[in-house]
Amino acid sequence: MSFGYLLVVSEHESVDYLKLAYGLSLSIKNTQREGYDKVALVIDNKEKLLGLTSSWVFDHVIEWNQETFWDGRSWMDQLTPFDNTVCLDVDMLFTEDYSHWAEYFIENSELYIANKTYTYRGEVITGDYYRRTFTKNNLPNLYSLYTFFKKDSKLAEEFFELGRQIIKNPIEFSNLFLSEHKPKVVGTDEAFALAAKLLDITDVIAYPLEFPRIVHMKPMVQNWPWPADTWSDHVGFYLNRYGKLKIGNYQQNGIVHYVEKNKIDDEMINILEEIAWKK
Amino acid sequence: MTTGILVYAHNSRSLDYALMSLIAAGLAKKNLNVPVSLVTDPSTVEWMRESNILEKATSVFENLIIVERPITDNQRKLCDGKNESMVPFVNSNRASAYDLTPYNRTLLIDSDYFIFSNRLSEYWNIDDDVLIGQSINDIYSGDRLGYNDRYISEVGINLYWATTVMFSKTPRAKTFFDTVNFVKENYKHYADIFRFDNRQYRNDIAFSVAKHILDGFINLDSGRLPPVLTTLDKDILASVEDNKLTFLISTPLGEKYIPASITDTDIHIMNKQSIIRHGSQLLEMI
Repeated sequence: MSFGYLLVVSEHESVDYLKLAYGLSLSIKNTQREGYDKVALVIDNKEKLLGLTSSWVFDHVIEWNQETFWDGRSWMDQLTPFDNTVCLDVDMLFTEDYSHWAEYFIENSELYIANKTYTYRGEVITGDYYRRTFTKNNLPNLYSLYTFFKKDSKLAEEFFELGRQIIKNPIEFSNLFLSEHKPKVVGTDEAFALAAKLLDITDVIAYPLEFPRIVHMKPMVQNWPWPADTWSDHVGFYLNRYGKLKIGNYQQNGIVHYVEKNKIDDEMINILEEIAWKK
Repeated sequence: MTTGILVYAHNSRSLDYALMSLIAAGLAKKNLNVPVSLVTDPSTVEWMRESNILEKATSVFENLIIVERPITDNQRKLCDGKNESMVPFVNSNRASAYDLTPYNRTLLIDSDYFIFSNRLSEYWNIDDDVLIGQSINDIYSGDRLGYNDRYISEVGINLYWATTVMFSKTPRAKTFFDTVNFVKENYKHYADIFRFDNRQYRNDIAFSVAKHILDGFINLDSGRLPPVLTTLDKDILASVEDNKLTFLISTPLGEKYIPASITDTDIHIMNKQSIIRHGSQLLEMI
């Protein structure tokens, strides 16, 4: 039974998503136990990998260009080469070994989606500034940025199929089921949450756990006393040469969803590469 | 293992810390059933003599530990109900508690923290070298607390309340107090790193920074004493009868007062003048 992480990227006019996926993949290689450190990359053009120093961090590269980046993730169940997969957003970094989370999900779940995130100070995020669609329409608070599934699961198959239908028909589903607060874009989070609600499987795929522990750096939910456009205006982001990450005065030990895409610059990549090379 | 309580008292021209510490010590000794020692200075002892409480003090305190009065330019606004004044705070030597305490396990309390229950007794044998009050609970509601009552700054770490600190004589606790002292001596530097306001030294901040550093720059669930139930300085201690303290609690905008009473509950009374006004009744309770 194979296990691995699936990352989906495609061309974007202003963000180099491959670079973010590269940083994430390096951090996975640097922190995860052998057997739990495999990464598959789905990319619209394999040629782009030629620009990377260590493209070996991607154990599988799948060229696929049928959908754009956002819609592409909803095909995760059909794209993965693994029996057990965690599909991740690429603007994240692993800071510690989470192999035991994967072991738990392989043993106990067919499908599990993160349903709780934390501030950089370790507080559970309760603010709904970015999630009015969820609270107004009584959707489960799902975060597709960490989605575990088994390839042979009927439950997962049904769920992802409905998720794709929602993403393909956003106006119809919004009018019918999200009328209390329609999102500007029906993204993967909204589609997955609505699919879980319609299939009535929230208790099965998003029951309370202390993990995955994901630090979500959207600025308006950091429990600050004032509004903020960008979190990096207020707290520093410090990756040391051992790959330990501090945000502000807090050591990070969860998966950090840093949101601001420019955080992974060449200096960060160099640090992560050096650790990977020495491992 | 010896257990006991440690209180600090350095009188100022505005506030009779000697009297407050005597009340706090007497109540703590009575309700926790352990001895109490006082860290003080010669002028405060002299004031005890002048104000005729020295005899009482020598019966309540197991030890009077005389130290040099700390030099301070710490001035803080303190309310007595609706009246405000600037008063000096002479409390910057709290980090010396580790060296000065005569006990193996010590509960360090502020002199305006009055113990009416045995709740803190549960912590004598907890396997933590240092424990600190994890937060304050306002007697009225959380609405009156500001952001800086919960965090040391807007983006900074949790604020712990050194109103109650329990510690053992262990190398780890020594490291903790050494770190508090180091933060105190390099306060501006740590203010830059931890983004807090450094204009006035505050024990709570130095203790919080030390805990955060020694906890590995994360929030740990361990090393915490219960939240400190608190009346603010704009509240007024109105009466002390039998075992009951009654306060007039200022509503959030300060437009009116509502009464609230407590019995058998530990309480941090920030309005120090109103403690002193009821000093004789409070002394009768010890």
